Amino acid sequence: MVENINNLMVGLNVAFQPYNLMIIVIGLILGIIVGVLPGLGGANGVAILIPVVVTMPATAGVILLSMIYWGSLYGGSITSILFNIPGEPWSVAATFDGYPMAKKGRPGKALVLSFLSHGVGALFGCIVLTFFSPILAEFALKFGPAEVFAVMMLTFSAFVGLTGRSPIKTVTSILFGFILAAVGMDIVSGQLRMTYGTVVLMGGFNFVVAVIGLFGLGEIFLTVEEGLKVEGISTKIGLKDIWEGVKDIIRYSKALITGTLVGIWMGFKPGGATPASFMAYGFTKQASANAAEFGTGVSPGIIAPEAAAHGAGTSAMIPMITLGIPGSPTMAVIMGGLMIFGLQPGPMLFKENVDFVWGLIASTWAGNILGFFLVLAFAPIFAAVLKVRFAIFMPLIIYVCAIGAYAVNNRMIDVYYMLLFGVLGYLFKKLDYPIAPMVLALVLGDMAEQSMRQALIIGHGSPLVFFTLPLALPLMVAAIIIFFWPVISPLKAKLFAKKG
Amino acid sequence: MRKAEMWVALAFAFLGILVIADSIRLGFMWGMSGPESGFFPFYLGVGVVISSLIVFSNAFTQYKKEGAGKPLMPPGAIKPILWVLIPSVAMIVITEFVGLHLAAALYLGFYMRAVGKIGWVTTLLVSIISPLTLYITFDKLFLIPLPQGLWGGYLLRF
Repeated sequence: MVENINNLMVGLNVAFQPYNLMIIVIGLILGIIVGVLPGLGGANGVAILIPVVVTMPATAGVILLSMIYWGSLYGGSITSILFNIPGEPWSVAATFDGYPMAKKGRPGKALVLSFLSHGVGALFGCIVLTFFSPILAEFALKFGPAEVFAVMMLTFSAFVGLTGRSPIKTVTSILFGFILAAVGMDIVSGQLRMTYGTVVLMGGFNFVVAVIGLFGLGEIFLTVEEGLKVEGISTKIGLKDIWEGVKDIIRYSKALITGTLVGIWMGFKPGGATPASFMAYGFTKQASANAAEFGTGVSPGIIAPEAAAHGAGTSAMIPMITLGIPGSPTMAVIMGGLMIFGLQPGPMLFKENVDFVWGLIASTWAGNILGFFLVLAFAPIFAAVLKVRFAIFMPLIIYVCAIGAYAVNNRMIDVYYMLLFGVLGYLFKKLDYPIAPMVLALVLGDMAEQSMRQALIIGHGSPLVFFTLPLALPLMVAAIIIFFWPVISPLKAKLFAKKG
Repeated sequence: MRKAEMWVALAFAFLGILVIADSIRLGFMWGMSGPESGFFPFYLGVGVVISSLIVFSNAFTQYKKEGAGKPLMPPGAIKPILWVLIPSVAMIVITEFVGLHLAAALYLGFYMRAVGKIGWVTTLLVSIISPLTLYITFDKLFLIPLPQGLWGGYLLRF
């Protein structure tokens, strides 16, 4: 405990170096703009910046990437509430009650409520991140290849069993991601796989390119299809709004706690901010005495999903830095940034790169607190970004996406892949295939395969190795139960119904 | 919607078969030093084939019962999407010749003027200033070279 606080102080020293502080502010502002613009989200915003970040020192670079995430978490809500246009998928739930409240003449209060809930969710996420990560990292030091593979199984089965999406489509999406990751040179044997004699496939698929296409272009196609109508509600945040916001937060603290807890759990167990916000909204609505009023602009309907989104965002960092398994697609891209700097996320990071880890954690504190005041003070200005005509910023976004996709590996073919992934992302969204698990599979593919092969070699070819090691066994059992949860839970309900 | 669902599922199944075929070529059994190269992809391929066939059969039974359902895209949506897609593809193809920044300038100008119906002054300002800014930022400040195409190097000489 005391040691963690000392470490955090060391980290704050790193984060508050003038250069890093400048990076934090720039990153947050960029992040909020990324959050406001539809089609440019956290995941692809971070992805586009990766080539720029490579030219910086490692700590500053990764701080910049994570700031984009924190900024976009805050920024997404601004346009959801004021224009009914979610700038980000995770702020869709904010439109349910945020926009009606703004329309009823209280846009300032809606914004304050949203920012406060974001802030609280973030703070709790930070607390868990600070005090729980070192314990988890210490524990994870005992992991061998079989355990690493088992943790991954747990991650992916959480997508299948707990997100409420079609399980079979989730499985398809995961397998497809793994297949894309396997294309190109096999790192163990050096053989070329699934290139079918072509040169272009030899380099494989880079997940940064996939993220830019899937989340960037795919999102733009959807926006274009629905048409973008900006019916602006202009606003100023007055002291009265802040006062009433604070009062409501305290009054509906149950919604706040529900949201925060759901968020932290969803961020930690891979799922990310988007499902967390929907889940928290659903829970709060179910538990509320006046559920019928939800959707007309009630405070708990804003508080719960917003706290959940940001709680999930911050706590998604825990599995990323301790286990090397990102808790959300955006975190996956940030992890990609770490790896470019030669920092292998995982338990050893806490031993070998103390300054870096604690600098990053401290910057998470600093960034989220600073971000709160930034959006509170300048929300109307950021909202004005969307007053720019869609036909102007849309081609600019595609242009910037093309730069990002090319600069990852300096390959022209990646720009074509980006377009392909854009169309694929659109199809996936339309047909309700989840995209996040595919991205995660693409990121973790090599690591998953390597650990599986190593574990099998240790077990002399018998898959029983995953079930005989004392640490791997409970993980695998949990993974299997969660995987079959969509089948188990109706069975359980039936069993209890019979008893009753 | 359900027709598209079935086509996409079939396409996935086909990809899965391609993967299996290549895994068999690589060998998917236990080799001299542990699992062979095709081991992991083989099971992935099998998995994709199975899961996409389940998606297909679900969609097919629904299709038989309830007909095709809603179309994949709402009527009239295909046009604006193609208006985004085709110019973007064109930009990338032009990039091969004159480099990304010049192609983007053309693309920005075209899209804003022809699709967005935005005034000439704004169009010209945005499509000249933004590629120029990005060119200076990336190529000059951060020294990240962006594609120059066949003739881009001759055209942009500062």
